[in-house]
Amino acid sequence: MSINFKQIEDKLKTEAKKLLEGGKVSIVLAYGKGYDEKHPMPYVARKMSDVENMVFNEFCTANMARYLVRYPRGTKIAIAVKPADSRAVIQLIQEEKIKREDLVILGIPVYGMKNFKTGETIDSKTTCGRYNPVIYDTLLGEEVHGQPVVSPYDVLAEYEKMDKDARWAFWKKELDRCIRCYACRKACPMCYCDPCFIDQNKPKWGEKSPESHGNLMYHLTRFHHLAGRCVDCGECSRACPVDIPLYLFHKKVAKECEEMFGQAAGMKIEDKPALVNFRVDDSDKILE
Amino acid sequence: MEFEPKILGIACNWCTYTGADLAGTTRLQYPQNLRVVRVMCSSRINPSFIFRAFQLGADGVLVGGCHPGDCHYNTGNLYARRRLAVTRKILEFAGIEPGRFRVEWISASEGNKFAEVVTEFTEQVKTLGPQTKFKIEQQPSLEKI
Repeated sequence: MSINFKQIEDKLKTEAKKLLEGGKVSIVLAYGKGYDEKHPMPYVARKMSDVENMVFNEFCTANMARYLVRYPRGTKIAIAVKPADSRAVIQLIQEEKIKREDLVILGIPVYGMKNFKTGETIDSKTTCGRYNPVIYDTLLGEEVHGQPVVSPYDVLAEYEKMDKDARWAFWKKELDRCIRCYACRKACPMCYCDPCFIDQNKPKWGEKSPESHGNLMYHLTRFHHLAGRCVDCGECSRACPVDIPLYLFHKKVAKECEEMFGQAAGMKIEDKPALVNFRVDDSDKILE
Repeated sequence: MEFEPKILGIACNWCTYTGADLAGTTRLQYPQNLRVVRVMCSSRINPSFIFRAFQLGADGVLVGGCHPGDCHYNTGNLYARRRLAVTRKILEFAGIEPGRFRVEWISASEGNKFAEVVTEFTEQVKTLGPQTKFKIEQQPSLEKI
C-alpha cells in the first residue's frame, strides 16, 4: 500500500472549493506551487480561483499550523494538516490561541514524505512518527494501518548513552554553527511570542550576534519554552540552513515531560499544557 | 590553593530567605561560597536566570522555596517544581553535571536545614570542580588595553 498523493491533492482541491464556495471559511491554508516540484510553498487560498494553484506531494512538509495565529480571532479557517500538524492545532487550541469552532480541519494521513534538501524519507527519526491525524473534520484519503509503529524516542538512545563531556562537545559543535537566522523560530507552530525573549533589550537575555554563548542561551531557552508543547513535527531542523539537529533536544525534552507529567503535547483538547499546570501529588523525585 | 566554588543561591522571600536569616541569627556556620539572591517566589525564577548564572561563572546553583503546599501564593512552588524539573533535564542533556543544580524546599523555621544543605551542596560542587562548559571566556576589554 502506498500513499496516492495525486488523489489527496484532488480531494484537497474539491474540499477547498466546497468550503470557499459555501462561505463556510474565508481562507484555506494548504500548499501551493513553488518554483519546482521539490519546493512547494505554504499557500493561503482566499477565493475560488486560488484553489487551482494548490498542490500536494511528498515534499509538502511545512507545518501549516504555524500560520493559524496570524489571523484575527474569529476568522474562519480551513487548514490542511498532516499527523504532527494536527497535534500542533490541538496544542494551539489548548493554549487558547484559536478556537475549535473557527476551524475546519482537513486531515491528511501520510507516510513516506521526503526531505526536500536531502531526499531522505521522513520517519519517526525526526518526527513524531504518526500516520493518521489525531483530529480532523474531513479525512482526505484513507486511514493508514499496518505500517511499522516505531517510538519517536528510539533515536535518543545513542545520545543518552554518551558521556556528559562528549555530549557537551557534541552540542557545542552543533550550536556554534548557528547563524541566528531564526528560521527554527519562524517554522515552529508553537513559537508565536511577540517579541521573542531573544529580541528583547530590557532585560537583554542573550547576545544577538552569532557567537557561542548567545547561541547557547537562545537555543537552551527555546528548548525550555517548548517543553511540554513541542509536537515533534521536526520542522525546525528541516528549516535550519546549517542542519543543526534541533529535533534531538526537542525529542529529549518531550520524552522527559511525558515521563514526568504523564501527558504528551497536543493529544487531547481538554488537557492543559504540562508546564502551566500542576498536580499537588507531583513527586519531588522529578527534581532529583 | 583549594578550589572555592562560586554558588548562586536563589531564595524565596517567605521561606528560604527567612530560613537563611534564622540560620544567621542562631549563629550557625555554613560555607561562604553561597551568594544569595532574594526573589518573591520560587516560581518567579526564569530558567534563563540559571543558564545565565552558569554562563557568568557560577559553579553551582541552589534554588530554595517553600515546601509544596506552604507557598505564600498558594500554588507558586507547584508550578516551579515542574518548571525546574525540566530545567534540570535540559542542563543534564546539554552536558552539565546534574549535581551542580539543586532545588530544596526549606521553610522559615528550618535554619538548621539551610546550613546543612549549603554545607553539603558546597562540598558536592567542590568535588565536581570548576564549571567551564557554559562559562563565557572573558574577552580583554578595550579600556584595559
